[in-house]
Amino acid sequence: MDMKIRFVSIAVLLLSTFQSQSFCGFFVAKAGANLYNKSSQVILVRDGDRTIVTMSNDFKGDVRDFAMVIPVPTVLKEQDIRVVDPTIFQRIDDHTAPRLAEYYDNNPCAPVIQYETMLMKNSMVLESSVSLMEDEADYGVKIEAQYQIGEYDILILSATESNGLKTWLVKNGYSLPPKAEEVLDPYIKNDMKFFVVKLNLEKQLDSEFEGLSPIQISYESSKFMLPIRLGMANAEEAQDLTIYAFTRTGRVECTNYRTIEMPSNREIPEFAEAHFDKFYVDVFEKQYKIENRRGVFLEYAWDLSATQPVKCDPCPTPPLVYDDLNKSGVGWVAQQSGWGDYSGQLFITRLHVRYDRENFPQDLRFQTTPNRTHFQCRYIINHPASGDLSCDGAIEYLESVVDRRKKELEEVELLAGWNISGYTNYVAPYEKQLRLKKGEDSKKGSVLPIGFDPKSPKFLLYIFLFMLIGLSVPWLFVRRLMKQYLK
Amino acid sequence: MLSKNTFSNALKDPRNIQILWLSSFLLTGIICLDWLANVSYYFFVFISALSVQILFIRVNHLPWSALKSAVITSLGLCLLLKVNQPIFGLLAGAVAIGAKFLVRLNSKHIFNPANLGILVLVLLGEGWISPGQWGNEGLIVVFIAICGLLVTMKVGRLDTGLSFLTVLLIAEFLRTVVYQGWPMDHFLHTFSSGTIFLFAFFMITDPMTSPNSRKARLIWGAFLALTSFWLSSFMQLYTAPIWALFIWSLFTPIFDKIFIQPKFKWI
Repeated sequence: MDMKIRFVSIAVLLLSTFQSQSFCGFFVAKAGANLYNKSSQVILVRDGDRTIVTMSNDFKGDVRDFAMVIPVPTVLKEQDIRVVDPTIFQRIDDHTAPRLAEYYDNNPCAPVIQYETMLMKNSMVLESSVSLMEDEADYGVKIEAQYQIGEYDILILSATESNGLKTWLVKNGYSLPPKAEEVLDPYIKNDMKFFVVKLNLEKQLDSEFEGLSPIQISYESSKFMLPIRLGMANAEEAQDLTIYAFTRTGRVECTNYRTIEMPSNREIPEFAEAHFDKFYVDVFEKQYKIENRRGVFLEYAWDLSATQPVKCDPCPTPPLVYDDLNKSGVGWVAQQSGWGDYSGQLFITRLHVRYDRENFPQDLRFQTTPNRTHFQCRYIINHPASGDLSCDGAIEYLESVVDRRKKELEEVELLAGWNISGYTNYVAPYEKQLRLKKGEDSKKGSVLPIGFDPKSPKFLLYIFLFMLIGLSVPWLFVRRLMKQYLK
Repeated sequence: MLSKNTFSNALKDPRNIQILWLSSFLLTGIICLDWLANVSYYFFVFISALSVQILFIRVNHLPWSALKSAVITSLGLCLLLKVNQPIFGLLAGAVAIGAKFLVRLNSKHIFNPANLGILVLVLLGEGWISPGQWGNEGLIVVFIAICGLLVTMKVGRLDTGLSFLTVLLIAEFLRTVVYQGWPMDHFLHTFSSGTIFLFAFFMITDPMTSPNSRKARLIWGAFLALTSFWLSSFMQLYTAPIWALFIWSLFTPIFDKIFIQPKFKWI
């Protein structure tokens, strides 16, 4: 059956559902201000031992009450820090977000018409914030460097012990989350420096507030990781983090948690279109629980090398161009005129992790792999043909529609955990039409097959038993035969 | 038919049990951890490892039971190594088994076959290891650990595995918990990974590439653990155990010289 495609990209609408905090720093409030920060995004660029991290934190609150502390492996130089255009996150998010593709059935009784449309909805807004202190005292804290970049005042601290650092921060007007100390010490012992950011209020108040610029830092270190533990210090509930990683070679993978591909290319009911954001949030929630709240989820992986003709398929937005890559900190691609806009090898990976203190005891560690396999988190809806269905092919077509719709309902239950008992109307009209066509009056209700979750513990147990029996019995036979044969 | 005798005979050769366990891990991975996409790679690994092994069995007039070793090597490659193009399975299998017959000293091969296959592919930039691939699920990890214990006890190589794990555990504990002050769960997370147990019980315990004497194996396992600890903690090398095993298998002949003991025989 011929189908036409219409494409809908919905960058995940996480704002309302995903409650979260800063990804790798904790925000330090002045005098008990009530701080709240939503889901965060980060762009990671890895080239050899060089890492470029761009952080976006969606902070809503009084910017004057704000500071951000991020552990970094080295003392950053001024040229290693810059602020970038906040739209870059939106741009990459739109391009890589889980997507919904729509297909329209051809009417089996009508001539073929071609059309194609594109539709987009969008996602995360970003802002970020800070504010800080001043003072110098000997608490084993050393100000390694001090810069003013963009709207920010930046300090790079090294400390010899956590109490000193804590006292120093408190003395400078910062209320630390109670659990922060438990992680400060390991970072200090691990020779990490602390990147402390505050907002330069004079500079900020001059211009009209339009959200804060993302900060981009760059450093040489064999450590390829994101320090999420500090961000958990003041958060009880799970936080969401979306990582966009660029490398020359291939996918980025987490080395100390399992990297899992999200379910993809599944056919879901038509009505899911209107609630696609809700659908995906539920799918994620379900997968997250199936994986016991652990794991890093792969949402997108694509080869964006200049030589690669298909930069996305289908494309929710125009492919990324040199300007986007430059903003992201991808340093090795060169600008060139003409189609493709840049030259060089490039691979993008989008990872989504929901972490909390209990299930993520370690910081996220990554490796770049040579894996250039494409992946996109894509769901499909099919619109049945409308209009006259009076020709001979109609019965066969209607049967296929009924079957498909039943399967789509099962899928939505299996994937997102939606209760489908209220959706009998989704299949019934087509069954009725089919009965009328066949001239049958029998009133068979549509019985929905029950989905079987292949990850339930019981199922696992059965598999083990089957494997043991299934392998040992034939093996014993083969062995016996081999012995006889060889004698 | 299936007499008690057949069964106990089958149990006599530890390789049988090893094949059984390793293939059950692989099946678990395929079914529960979405490894289905790699099946063509597994196929290539088996094809090449088995054909090279058959070639050498014919050339060297070895017993056909030597095929089991190739099966174990193939399973090891499938479980640990990931490749970009399935066709590289051919290379991994051929390198692993080929080196086993070609790089020899004192009638023992030097390199652990699967380990060498992995290393070559990693160096070529075509393969990688996913240390996180088993997740941190208690069930799978415990299963691997118990099966590993059973097999190594059978081969009489429990000493290597335990010495490796103990030293690694102590070193990691001293560094992360005692020195750096991370809470316990940070430390335990490292040891709840299936990869580490797979390596400790199924890879380094290979009787052919570890020293013959028990004393030597205990020391050898400890050195292996320390090297691996150093590489992973200070060099941020996630393939650390593979490198450590490669380095220390070079020293096995020296250990055998110092601690004299007859060579291991499978049955």
